Amino acid sequence: MSSINVTAVSHNEQHPIDSFFHPNSMPSVWCPGCGIGTIVYTYVQAVKEMNVEPDKICVVSGIGCTGKIAEYLNFGSHEITDGNVIAYAANLAAKKQYMKVTLFTNNADFLVSSAKDFLEIGKTMANLLVIHNNNIIYCITENGAIPTTPFIRTSASNDFELPFNIPHLAKSSGAEYVARWTPLHAGWLKYSIIDALSKQALSVIEVVSPCVMFFTFTNKIGDAADQLRFYRDNSVMKQYEPTEHLDLRSKREVIIGKFVDKKEF
Amino acid sequence: MTSLQAAFDADKIEIPLGQVHIVRDRCKGCGYCIKYCPREVLEVSEKPNDKGYYFPRVKDEDTCLNCGLCELICPEFAIWSTLTRYVKPKLIKEMVNESF
Repeated sequence: MSSINVTAVSHNEQHPIDSFFHPNSMPSVWCPGCGIGTIVYTYVQAVKEMNVEPDKICVVSGIGCTGKIAEYLNFGSHEITDGNVIAYAANLAAKKQYMKVTLFTNNADFLVSSAKDFLEIGKTMANLLVIHNNNIIYCITENGAIPTTPFIRTSASNDFELPFNIPHLAKSSGAEYVARWTPLHAGWLKYSIIDALSKQALSVIEVVSPCVMFFTFTNKIGDAADQLRFYRDNSVMKQYEPTEHLDLRSKREVIIGKFVDKKEF
Repeated sequence: MTSLQAAFDADKIEIPLGQVHIVRDRCKGCGYCIKYCPREVLEVSEKPNDKGYYFPRVKDEDTCLNCGLCELICPEFAIWSTLTRYVKPKLIKEMVNESF
């Protein structure tokens, strides 16, 4: 019974998903407790469960903290400049070179720089999976307000606009699969990614994830684990909720679940 | 005293035991694995690692059930568990006999 001695484990051991990263890319640049790490882990697990060859999956990402994902992952990876991410990924998907093109976005390159491209790609039936990391703040430029920042819950400068509703945008521009999760619902997130990867249409998954350094400390929520627990306690699962009700208002729960799945109807 | 009755499939049930692996120098000390472990296997170490973060270490050796939650929520890919062996569960009768 005393064969388990963890303090004696050597440091050269390989994590089970280390083979999916570029060599020597870890440790990452993300802050302690960042939600992006969980998103990357669940995405790799989903690809592992589907038994797809890594050459047939393409990962595109843009700027900021989320842009580092394409730098680390050892699939066909493209890291694109600001403002061209969605157009580039849609053109890459139209070539049909890969089985599925996955686009990791954050608020800066999805909503601010290239939202008009997103309105186009639903009509052109792009075979694209968009995983949107919504941490409701600008991270690298140190907590500025963005279109999804809730009303009273402030960034460094007070926000005076109503928050933007990403699932409603995705549904109205023609996405066939729309879901929203938090990093602590990682099991649901994994099966959601598997569902979306097996579809031949535009699908959008939004992940409401903690920004530890700039959102949690500014709003005095606590540390990283406290904000993750905050999202879990305040989230309610409502499957097929009408997407008009899904904006992130403060003093209201975060509605998670699968909202649009067109093949079932 | 129906609680003393053994379950019908008590001889078929086997409990998995896991071993936790930690890459010490990759950890950034966010504390997710320590706070969210359902069996409370981990605790904060006394000495920091080379970067200066307090990494997790195992408190109770034989309590890990290889559920994989620490591996799922670790943002730094620094912790995972592997299955070591299966053990038979203790029957309620034996637990009562031990307590008296």
